[in-house]
Amino acid sequence: MSVFRAVVAELTGMFLSDARLTFGAIAVVALAALAAEIPDPGHLAAGAVLLLGCVGVLVVAIMATARRRR
Amino acid sequence: MIDWTTAAPAVSAAFLASIVEVVEAFTIVLAVGTVRGWRPAILGTAAALATLVVLTLALGPLLERAPIHAMQLVIGVLLLVFGMSWLRKAVLRAAGVIALHDEAAAFVAETAALRQDLAPRSAPKDWIAGLAAYKAVLLEGFEVVFIVIAVGAGRGLLGPAALGAGAACALVLMIGAIAHRPLARVPENTLKFGVGVMLAAFGVFWTGEGLGVDWPGHDLALFAFAALFLLTGLVSVRAARALAPEAAS
Repeated sequence: MSVFRAVVAELTGMFLSDARLTFGAIAVVALAALAAEIPDPGHLAAGAVLLLGCVGVLVVAIMATARRRR
Repeated sequence: MIDWTTAAPAVSAAFLASIVEVVEAFTIVLAVGTVRGWRPAILGTAAALATLVVLTLALGPLLERAPIHAMQLVIGVLLLVFGMSWLRKAVLRAAGVIALHDEAAAFVAETAALRQDLAPRSAPKDWIAGLAAYKAVLLEGFEVVFIVIAVGAGRGLLGPAALGAGAACALVLMIGAIAHRPLARVPENTLKFGVGVMLAAFGVFWTGEGLGVDWPGHDLALFAFAALFLLTGLVSVRAARALAPEAAS
């Protein structure tokens, strides 16, 4: 059982170590999916939202942790 | 025929990520070998590697059969979250906000914990020690399997990515067998930074393809994304260091 629990904890940690980052990234992907529905140039808008949104989420997550640990 | 301009990033990501994970697993296997002997350490490691190989052989071909866009989207999002998570931690460690991973300290702690666990008990000591090695290799190996499958499946690169991971494993074990101590001098955080950049770039690329984005420059866009994440990471290190100077000192 301890191996099973460790496996579950490991898999959870791989994707949920920072909830802000995980759910922020998922929100950006959802927004990009909506942008992709826009008629031309929908796919380029989706790409821009995805790339810049992910960079933004990453920076926010890093700064939030740095601020919290002051 | 493999296109090496496409395969090289995948193989590199698998190789570098595997070095980091194998070094961490090696520390625990070394602790088991030191405290209880090499037989349980080797048996536990072999059992974990067999489990991981079965997992990869089962999951890889299954994903190859999934609808391509759905698979790209799901794996892309998972890779994106995983890569950004590694990059975030690497940035915070480089900025001094959180402590660097210390293999030497981890070895000391693991050895002490094992000695305590192996104090008089009814269960055979070799079983407990072997289980510790099994757990360590299995858990670190999960991340390697995920990366190999994520960067390799769907593009016919499962084999090259797996070879990259295997080569890293062999290299670390060879160096570890010669050094016979925790590999504390491996620039773990630098490797995690680089792998985080690569995986985040892969994640954006694949998620975009899953959403129907036709990236300008196609595969070359990967390099542009990696450059952007690298720049973001480096700037974030400076900003985080300035924001948390007490933690960094």
